Amino acid sequence: MAIRPDDPNEIDMSNLAPNTAGPAGIEEVAPIVRMVGIEKHFNNVAVLKGVNLDIRPGEVHVLLGENGAGKSTLMKILTGIHEPTGGEIVLDGVSHPLVTPREASEAGISIIYQELSVINELSALENLFVGRLPVKRRLGVPVVDWKLMETEARSIIGRLGLGGLDLHKPVGEMPIAHRQIIEIAKSLMKNVRVLVMDEPTSSLTSVETERLFALVRQLKAEGTAVLFISHKLDEVREIGDTFSVLKDGVSTGHGRIADYTNDDLVRMMVGRVVKQRFLAEGSIDRTSMPVLKVENVTSADRKRVRDVSFEVHHGEVLGFAGLVGSGRTDLMNCLFGAERRAGGRIILNGADITPNNPVEAVKSGMAYLTENRRQTGFTPNFTIEGNIAVTKSVKDAPLRGTWGLVDRKAERAVAEEQRRQLSIRCAGIDQSILELSGGNQQKVLVGKWMSIAPSVIIFDEPTRGIDVGAKSQIHEIIRALANAGKAVIMVSSELPEILAVCDRVAVFRNGRIMDTLDGATATEESILSVAMRDGK
Amino acid sequence: MSQRVKLGKLWDIYGTLCILLVIVVLFSALSPTYFTRPENIVQIFLQSSITIMIALGEFFPILIAGIDLSVGSVLALTGMITAQLMVAGFDPTLAVLIGGVGGGLALGAVNGLLVNFTGLHPFIITLGTNAIFRGVTMIISGASPVFGFSYDFVDTVTGFVGFVPVPVIFALSFAAVLWFFTAKTRLGRNIYAVGGNKESAFYSGIDVKLHTLIVFMISGLCAGLAGVLSIARLGAAEPAAGTGFETYAIAAVIIGGTSFFGGKGRIPSVVIGGLIIGTINNGLNILRVPTFYQLVVMGGLIISAVALDRLIARMR
Ligand SMILES: Nc1ncnc2c1ncn2[C@@H]1O[C@H](COP(=O)(O)OP(=O)(O)OP(=O)(O)O)[C@@H](O)[C@H]1O
Ligand SMILES: [Mg+2]
Repeated sequence: MAIRPDDPNEIDMSNLAPNTAGPAGIEEVAPIVRMVGIEKHFNNVAVLKGVNLDIRPGEVHVLLGENGAGKSTLMKILTGIHEPTGGEIVLDGVSHPLVTPREASEAGISIIYQELSVINELSALENLFVGRLPVKRRLGVPVVDWKLMETEARSIIGRLGLGGLDLHKPVGEMPIAHRQIIEIAKSLMKNVRVLVMDEPTSSLTSVETERLFALVRQLKAEGTAVLFISHKLDEVREIGDTFSVLKDGVSTGHGRIADYTNDDLVRMMVGRVVKQRFLAEGSIDRTSMPVLKVENVTSADRKRVRDVSFEVHHGEVLGFAGLVGSGRTDLMNCLFGAERRAGGRIILNGADITPNNPVEAVKSGMAYLTENRRQTGFTPNFTIEGNIAVTKSVKDAPLRGTWGLVDRKAERAVAEEQRRQLSIRCAGIDQSILELSGGNQQKVLVGKWMSIAPSVIIFDEPTRGIDVGAKSQIHEIIRALANAGKAVIMVSSELPEILAVCDRVAVFRNGRIMDTLDGATATEESILSVAMRDGK
Repeated sequence: MSQRVKLGKLWDIYGTLCILLVIVVLFSALSPTYFTRPENIVQIFLQSSITIMIALGEFFPILIAGIDLSVGSVLALTGMITAQLMVAGFDPTLAVLIGGVGGGLALGAVNGLLVNFTGLHPFIITLGTNAIFRGVTMIISGASPVFGFSYDFVDTVTGFVGFVPVPVIFALSFAAVLWFFTAKTRLGRNIYAVGGNKESAFYSGIDVKLHTLIVFMISGLCAGLAGVLSIARLGAAEPAAGTGFETYAIAAVIIGGTSFFGGKGRIPSVVIGGLIIGTINNGLNILRVPTFYQLVVMGGLIISAVALDRLIARMR
């Protein structure tokens, strides 16, 4: 996508970025990695148009930019996954037109990818050592040294605060946050000089994020250069020292984070100031009949979800906060019929709609944006159009959503509509979903559920990996749905997001709602103290 | 869009056809007088019709990242039931409906239900049912062929319309129906969605178990119809009929560019895949390659055809 010169959102960066030019004198440390004039084309579409980036030892450099700006692509060039179309990469003063994965790894560059790359069928231990199992000799025969593996793994996982993790369980059976931590641990197992973290915290709660940051600070003190990508500005401010901004594949600014406000950063990324809070205007009537009533829902094992009841009123967004593993996603699965229940009822506007499976749920107008877009969200062999259309065709079709002809024309119209509404950045709705940036994939999935005009919407981590501009767009949609009388439930591990959108916050722990707080008065501290409160 | 992308898309659609043309050119050069005669071309289509029928069915389990190893036994068992019904005095149409259509659907349903209820991979289930169905065929036939059924039936099924043999018309029209089904209906599209990612499909409100069942029933139906074609061609129901046919069916489907990982493939390419198998068989016969050597050449050609396809697909 080209930048339009007449774009009204285009802003003059010169007055925002005092440090971009001139011998300011603070950057005396020589960079380990310099990327100079990097260009990258995919199918003749320019994604990076001459990007410069310096990564210095002992510094956390944050790469900011909207979804699809080219951040992940730039990092994949650094680690040798993609070949650049132009430019050069200087590693320790030696210039390369491109690096191979091997060269990157020998230079001590290690990356945590945005999409989890752990292998679900393997155990945590095997994942950590995949491709480089340590070997010892027994009677002259080389055998795998499991003991050594276990000790090394324990120490690194322990530093990340998961000391008690069962290292022998297949990773696929673990909550997504644990998988993320294994992914992080994997990148730290080698001798790291440059650590690239592409949205490492997108599936972590604040507690795990804190632990990760403690580790990053330690690495930084040891002289490691860290490159950090995140859409969460509070985090960026907490951990980052310097930043650069990418917009449409061009570097549009860099500097020290402390010299700028969040609004400045957002303006550089998005070109405008975005709205931050989306609570209901006016008061919510909690005396009349609730839109959604959930009664005594219990999971089949009677452990992960225990006797949960709550109500959602007209115009209200109900948030679910809690630590990882508290059972929030299990509850959502139970509501949607994706997991077997031991009991419970779901009542929409007075009518019992308790679904026994997702087919019934979709048919009765429920939507469920799942937390893991790769595993349970998108259909990889489909285009954007196909991904959006599938659910709508299930809802509209008689008999378990199966029979009848595909109405291509109508489906294209629906997909185009969602693409426009959510400003999905793509070459066209015929593009494969695998070619989109992470944030844009997420928007496609939001579009897929919006297209069925649902009456109950469950958003599980709806803005995972979504940039600040798009995030406020999605929050606006969530608010609009609530105002239109839909029952909106939002699970999020990002407390600022919960506080920005939810009128009430149910705090989950050990499969139950511990307490329900008023969104207008709740704070991150008050939510966390309930989430960590003891009690059975 | 760039030329490389276009080339890739074109290869997806016409790649299998190119491989067929290469093979045809090869045999025409080796046997200039006989191979290209019109009678022989008709013969190739006729020989391919049963492979195409089975491959059409096999396409569906592979499309959902599964497999059906029982197609050869389904062919034998449904053929045997149809033959015995006719010998017992049933009207041939009724016998075909019960034995071929009903039998095929039912055996497919057995596979589908077992896959759904046990949660085991279709490879294991159909490896088992392949043996079971073959065993049942042997039991009900006493391990000897069944002859002597209606001439009308044999004449109709082995007849011609103009110069085109009936089995060829049958296989091609069935392929057309399935093509329409996969490309234009919701059920067909949902099968691709299940093939791409079962969990996403489940959370999108697609009944994955129902679709799995339907997929195996289609596979059974195709093998059942192939069973009917086969007894008519041989004039007898052989208990050992169709042994090893699953290999040819799978080869045809894979040569046709269908992904073993599910979610990707096209019916027309599967038909061409079946024709490639038939052409290789026919060409080797014409060149009087001894049977054992034929196996070796066949295997080598299958591997080369798929390797070539993947090589070109990767060059985009
Ligand atoms: N393999 C590919 N083929 C074609 N286009 C691609 C491919 N990979 C990325 N792109 C395109 O390149 C652009 C930049 O993508 P990239 O993943 O680098 O964005 P990002 O800045 O990391 O965004 P996000 O914040 O959403 O993760 C996007 O428009 C994307 O569609
Ligand atoms: Mg990215």
